[in-house]
Amino acid sequence: MTTSKNFRIGALVAAAALTLSGCLSGSTGASGDDGEGPIQIGISLPLTGDFSEPGKGVQRGYEAWAAHVNQNGGLLGRQVELNILDDQSNADRVATDYEKLINQDGVDLVFGPFSTRLVVPAAQVAQDYGFLFVEPAGAAEEVFEQGFDNLFYAAPAIAEDHYNHLADEITALPPNQRPKTAAYAAMDDPFAQGTAYGLKNKLQDAGIRTVVDEVYPPNTTDFGSIAAKIADSRADIVVGGTQYQDAVNLIVALRQLGYQPDMAAFSTAPTNPEFPRAIGRQTEGILSPTGYTPEAKFPTNREFVEFYTERHGNEPNEDEANAWTTGQVVAAAVEAVGCANPDPECQQKLVDWLHNNEVDTVVGPLSWDKTGKPQGAHLIQQYVDGEIKIVLPDETKEADFIHPKPNW
Amino acid sequence: MTGSLLLQSLVLGVLLGGLYALLAAGLTLYFGVMRVVMIAHSAFLILAAYLAWYFSQQTGLDPLLSLVFTVPLFFGVGVVMQRLLISRLRPATLTMMSVLLTFSVALVIEGTLGFLFGGTHRRIQLPYAGTSFEIFGANIALVKLIAFGLAAIALAGLYVLLKFTPLGQALRATIQHPEAAQLVGINTDRVAGYGFGLGLATAAIGGTALALDSTIYPSLHWHWIGPLMAIIVVGGLGSIPGAAIAAMALGLGQSLLQIPLGTTWAQTFFYLALFATLMLHPQGFFGDRLAQRF
Repeated sequence: MTTSKNFRIGALVAAAALTLSGCLSGSTGASGDDGEGPIQIGISLPLTGDFSEPGKGVQRGYEAWAAHVNQNGGLLGRQVELNILDDQSNADRVATDYEKLINQDGVDLVFGPFSTRLVVPAAQVAQDYGFLFVEPAGAAEEVFEQGFDNLFYAAPAIAEDHYNHLADEITALPPNQRPKTAAYAAMDDPFAQGTAYGLKNKLQDAGIRTVVDEVYPPNTTDFGSIAAKIADSRADIVVGGTQYQDAVNLIVALRQLGYQPDMAAFSTAPTNPEFPRAIGRQTEGILSPTGYTPEAKFPTNREFVEFYTERHGNEPNEDEANAWTTGQVVAAAVEAVGCANPDPECQQKLVDWLHNNEVDTVVGPLSWDKTGKPQGAHLIQQYVDGEIKIVLPDETKEADFIHPKPNW
Repeated sequence: MTGSLLLQSLVLGVLLGGLYALLAAGLTLYFGVMRVVMIAHSAFLILAAYLAWYFSQQTGLDPLLSLVFTVPLFFGVGVVMQRLLISRLRPATLTMMSVLLTFSVALVIEGTLGFLFGGTHRRIQLPYAGTSFEIFGANIALVKLIAFGLAAIALAGLYVLLKFTPLGQALRATIQHPEAAQLVGINTDRVAGYGFGLGLATAAIGGTALALDSTIYPSLHWHWIGPLMAIIVVGGLGSIPGAAIAAMALGLGQSLLQIPLGTTWAQTFFYLALFATLMLHPQGFFGDRLAQRF
C-alpha cells in the first residue's frame, strides 16, 4: 500500500520535473538560436581539487582571450561571454557540467576542460550533441583513440611527439658523439610516460640501447634506488618522464651518486620557474620539451604576451597559452564558416573546416589529423648560462644546443 | 645486478631506514602513552619542513638552525594540543575519535600551508645538496647522512630521556599501567601532555631532516602517513626501539627489493609486511616485551 503510494508520488514529482526542465531548456534554447546578443561559450574547469592550479591558469587564459576579442569588436560582430563551471577535478562532474551547459544554458559553443582524465568524458558529451570540441589539455594518446571526430587538441603536439626535434638531433649526431645507451624513468601517468616513451621508441629504432626502464607511482617519495640503478648502468643519456617534484628529487639523487650523463632530458619540471630555485647552478645543459614560451616569435604571440602581461602583471605560461590557443582555433573556424550557434549543422561546418585548414596561433601554425591529433612537435629548451632557452629546432632557436652537457 | 649496485642499495636502505625511524618515532610514542592514533603526525612533519624552508629562505642560514625554534615550539604545541583537544575525548572511544580529531588537524595544517605558501613545490637549495663521498664504491650523500645523524641523536636522546629521567619513568609508568601510575602519585594527565609534546618535538626534527633532501608541498603528508603507520604496527604500537628496528628492516627491504621488482612493487612491501604482521603477530614484533620494558 505505502509502496504504491510512494511510487505514485514519485512518478508525479518526476513528471513535474520533466515538464519543468523541458520548459526551461526550450525557452533558453530558443534564445541561444537568435543569432543576436552575445555568443555564449560554455566551459567546465577544475577550479578546485587536484588540478586546481593548472585549471585556474586555463581560466585566466580563456578570460584574457574573451576580453581581447571583445575589445576588438567581438566574434562575427557579437560580444563573447564565458560561462565557466567548476568540476572540482571530478570526471563525473565534468560530464554533468557539459550536459547542463548545452541542454539547460543553451550555450552556442563549448571549450574543453583541463587534463586527459576530464577531457575524455567531456568530449563524449560534446560528441553526443554534435558540438565542436577544441581542448587546451589532454595530450595523452588515449584521448585520440576514443573515436571522436569533433575533437581538436589546441597545442603543437601530443605527449609522444614532444621530443621529436630532440630525437632528430640525436640521430643526426656524428657516430663518435652519438649516445649508445639510454636510461628512462617515468611516472606512472599517461602524459609523463607518453613523453619519455615517445623518445624511447625513436632512439631504440636508431639503435640506442635501453639499459634502464623504470616506472614509479606518483606517490614515490624516495628516488635513491631509482637513481642507483641509473647510475649503475652508466647510461650515456638519461630521460625522465616527469611532472615536477619527481624530476627535482631524481636529479638531486643522481648528483649524489656522482652520475654524469652526456645528456639529461626531463618533461615539464625544467620549464617551471621554481626549478632553478630548487636545483641551483646545476641546471646547466638540462633539456626539456615545451609547448609554449613567451619568447616564441609566432605572429600573434607578441600581441598575446603584451595583452596578458598588461592584464596580470606577469607573462603567461603554457596553461594560459593553450587556453588562448583554444580560443584562437574556435574563433578562426567561426569567422571562416560564419556561424556560432548550437545547431548541429553549424557545429558540423565548424568541425569540417578545422579538419581541412591550418590555423595560425600563439604556439605556431596548427593542423590536425582526423582524430584531432595536432601535427607538430614541441620546441626543445635547454638551460644555457643559467637560463632556459629554445635550442631546437634551428629555425626558432635562441641559443646553440649544448652537447655533451656540463657536469651537474 | 652488479655488486656495486647491491652495496649502493644497502647503503641507501640503511640511510632511508634511519629517516623512517625518526619520522615514525613520535607516532608510536603517542599511541604508547595515550592510545592516540595521530594522523596529523606527518602533517606536522611537513609543517616543520616548511618552517625550515621558510627560515632558510628568509635568513639565508642553514635550515638545520631552524631546529632551535621549531623543537621548543612543537613541544609547546604538542602539550597544548593534548591538554585542549585530545584530553577532552572520552577514554572509552579515545582511539577511534583521535583518528577523526587528528585527521581534521591534518586538514587544517595542509590548508594553512596551501593558503600561506601556495601549492608550489618547494625545495631548500643547499650548497651541499649533491655532495657525497665514496666508501668501497658506494656513494654516501652528505644530506642523507645528516638526516641519519639527526635520527640517531633524536632517538638516542629519546631513549635516555625515557630510561633515565624521572619524567621518563613517569611516562613509561603511564604507558604500562595508567591506573597504577595514578595510584603511586603520577599526574598522568600532565605526563600525557609532555609525552605528546615529545612526540611533536621529534616531528620538528624529522620534518627538518626531510626538508634537507626532498621537495615539499602541502599535500605531501598523505604520502607519508601510510608507510609510517605500517612501520609502527610492524614494530609494535608504543615501542620506540620496535619502530626503529621495523623502520630499518622496511627501509632496507624496500631499497633492496627495488632492484629486481621496480618501484611500484617495492612499495607494496610495506603493506605486505603490515598484513603479515596483523595476521601472524597482531601485537607487532616488539610491542609485547619491549614496550613493557622501555
